Amino acid sequence: MTTTYQPATPIWCAGCGHFGAQAAIVHALRVLEIPPHETMVLAGIGCSGTIQNNLGTYGYHALHGRVLPTATGVHLANPDLTVIAAGGDGDGYAIGMGHLVHTLRRNPSFTYVVMNNGVYGLTKGQDSPTFQTAGASLDFDAVSLALSIAASSFVARGFARWSDQLNRLTVAAVEHAREGRGFAFLEVLSPCVTYNDTYPQWEATLHDLDATDHDPTDRTAAFDAVSRLGDMGRMAVGMIYRDDIAPTPVEYRPHPAAADVTPAANAEAYAAVLDRYRI
Amino acid sequence: MTVGTTRRVNDLNVMVAGQGGDGSLTVSNLLGVLLGRHGFRMYNARNVASRIKGGHAAALMRGSTVGRSCMGDELDLLVAFDEEAIERAASWLADDGLVIFDSSGGPAPRANLPPTVTVYEIPFARMAIRDLRRDLFKNSLGFGVVARIVSASDTEAEEVLQHRFAHLPERVAAANVQALRAGFAYADEQGLSAGNGPLVLADGPPTDHILISGNEALAFGFLTAGGRFFAGYPITPASEILDWLERMLPRFGGIAIQAEDELAAINMAIGAAMTGTRSMTATSGPGISLMQEGVSHLGSAEIPLVVVDCQRSGPSTGMPTKPEQSDINMLVHGGTGDFPRIVLAPATPTECFELGAAATNFAQRIQGPVYVMLDQAVSQDAMTVEPFDLGAVEPVTGKRLSRQEVATADEYRRYAITADGVSPWALPGTPGGMSLVTGNERNEWGQVDTAAANRVAMVDKRARKIETVRADLPLGYRWGDPSAPVGMIGLGMERGPMEEATERLAAAGLTIDGLSPRTVWPVLAETIDFVRSHDRVYVVEHNAEAQFAHLIASVGGPHDRLRLVTKYDGIPFRPGELASRILEAEEVAK
Repeated sequence: MTTTYQPATPIWCAGCGHFGAQAAIVHALRVLEIPPHETMVLAGIGCSGTIQNNLGTYGYHALHGRVLPTATGVHLANPDLTVIAAGGDGDGYAIGMGHLVHTLRRNPSFTYVVMNNGVYGLTKGQDSPTFQTAGASLDFDAVSLALSIAASSFVARGFARWSDQLNRLTVAAVEHAREGRGFAFLEVLSPCVTYNDTYPQWEATLHDLDATDHDPTDRTAAFDAVSRLGDMGRMAVGMIYRDDIAPTPVEYRPHPAAADVTPAANAEAYAAVLDRYRI
Repeated sequence: MTVGTTRRVNDLNVMVAGQGGDGSLTVSNLLGVLLGRHGFRMYNARNVASRIKGGHAAALMRGSTVGRSCMGDELDLLVAFDEEAIERAASWLADDGLVIFDSSGGPAPRANLPPTVTVYEIPFARMAIRDLRRDLFKNSLGFGVVARIVSASDTEAEEVLQHRFAHLPERVAAANVQALRAGFAYADEQGLSAGNGPLVLADGPPTDHILISGNEALAFGFLTAGGRFFAGYPITPASEILDWLERMLPRFGGIAIQAEDELAAINMAIGAAMTGTRSMTATSGPGISLMQEGVSHLGSAEIPLVVVDCQRSGPSTGMPTKPEQSDINMLVHGGTGDFPRIVLAPATPTECFELGAAATNFAQRIQGPVYVMLDQAVSQDAMTVEPFDLGAVEPVTGKRLSRQEVATADEYRRYAITADGVSPWALPGTPGGMSLVTGNERNEWGQVDTAAANRVAMVDKRARKIETVRADLPLGYRWGDPSAPVGMIGLGMERGPMEEATERLAAAGLTIDGLSPRTVWPVLAETIDFVRSHDRVYVVEHNAEAQFAHLIASVGGPHDRLRLVTKYDGIPFRPGELASRILEAEEVAK
């Protein structure tokens, strides 16, 4: 057995929602029997951007806001890996917002877990784009954004304290991506107990769609539910939308990391390229 | 008009110009094929406005039997589709130059032209519409006249046209042949009979050649070195690399992707590179600015990537279609913190191919960023060169660990401190090779660690990687007289004019020793020694602040021997212009 790095103890405050998000990821990898060496967890910058240190998988600490393009590159180059991108709302919805839109549009098959706490914790309490004044609905709602992009294929929201549901959603997200169905976007409402303790506020306003007859394959119904709840100052959690397209068979996925680049295997094809330039 | 004298040419400078969309490139391409049949080697450039259609657009072409790598001093032949073309080209025209003018809108403006220039006025556009019903046929019509000018037989001109349009539907080719023959008829009216024009083409040695631009050659080099992932964002003058790899990589099991911006482009490439896939991104100065954080991250996190900068005139958005070499400071010094990097600078399509492959290999060897620095002229101008030596490229893997090696190792540390600075690398997917990759300072395990001793050990380890490959970095191209007391040095697009200016200067009694470095950073001993071993060295570069000269001086090149020859007007040097600049400076030195 090769000894490698020792997974770290989380740096988070006692009671931080991120413990719930991490537990759900660990649960999903265990339930789906994905070995750590086939998993790559990429994290952004911020408190949530330390999650990769705690898991024992291949881990990567991205530049601030760039976790999605990096994860896209990893996934496209080696689709055999189970890729999980993770980060906070500052990372994903402020500095990295542009990439979220385009990742939803491209729909690459990896999972993105956003730990949304409405605040910049690591830099000690500045407002993030999802900071809420008491009682108001989300100023910025990433779930609505994701639903508005026609290519989006998996949109879910969990709450760090509701661990059974969060576990289910995380398993579903990782499965969705592994089957080549596309980008699994999972927002986890993950309160910051130090700078923005929204546990009581969220607990009182969340509406569990999984406990209703909501049909998650109906995008219009998802839009309808999310916006009507928003008007009432409430937020939807659960399996909000998932495309019911068939999985992409493995043999149809290009795999650059496995390409045979030896000159022997390519000599004829390279020569044919050169011939196009002969005069 | 009757033609008096006939001149035999082995070096022909041609400009075909009009409004963008006039089809100037078609005429120049046809002439290029014709010249190629006579053993001429081509140098093709363009001068365009930054817009899709319209604006002055010129195709510049030099054909020579010896093979030149820049435009010459004077134009021998101008094909002008409008008055603006004549106004712009007038100062370049040789005294015995020839002008073919589309006189559909009136006679040629001769006021600016040297009186000895011969002008043929032919209403191409009007004739094309009247006789052939389409304006576009003016190109084949115009080529008919050009062919007569260079004394080609009508049969040969027709073969060239057929060759060029071979991929088009037969009726299109036939219509163009009809247009060509109409061109012959108008040429007859001007006294230009077949095989009896004012110019006669010499015959160069027939050889096996390719005609390719630097951007295409660079992308090809990356491919042959095993490059299988590319991410980029469209930008002039780098977009051809994205276009080329989007077409080619899927055929080789690779992927090219157009990102939403340069930040995404470099980070996608970083992601792919971490899987062991040889990866690249390419952009120009404004994109390189956005990528600085990513490049710094490559250096810190130790991820192999090729980053191409096709430089254009700056600052900011500058002059997007014009060449400059003003990103040298940014490539060599840009980014946050201290990190090892390599900057390579090819000057010809052949070198673009070779250094594109070499950069891909060096990136693997140092597990870090390797820049390839081009300029608009090197990127987009096309040249006739020997076919690339495909057999000479061997993809290098660097220090990677196989599954077997990891399985039998007691432990695996991603950032193990080694004598050569390079840490053996287990790719994601390897059992037992789990690692933490980060741009933060970290210990050998990849865990964040800011302890002073660890910090110093890690910075030093990363720096050692450059020393490990230094001896293998590409040396420069040399020409001229090694015993000359006067040296000339320059990068990329300066090579062609410098080499040719050296001939002119020799004829004027000044011998020159020339060096065109292919490695910009680290500055090799070769460059410093070159400056030290000459009384004075002219540093030829396209920027206002003499960035390359300052770089040389900053690492020990004696600054009192450096003579600055800068140009920043967006136009490449002509050999005669450069020779004059140096002769003037020599006068001052006396």
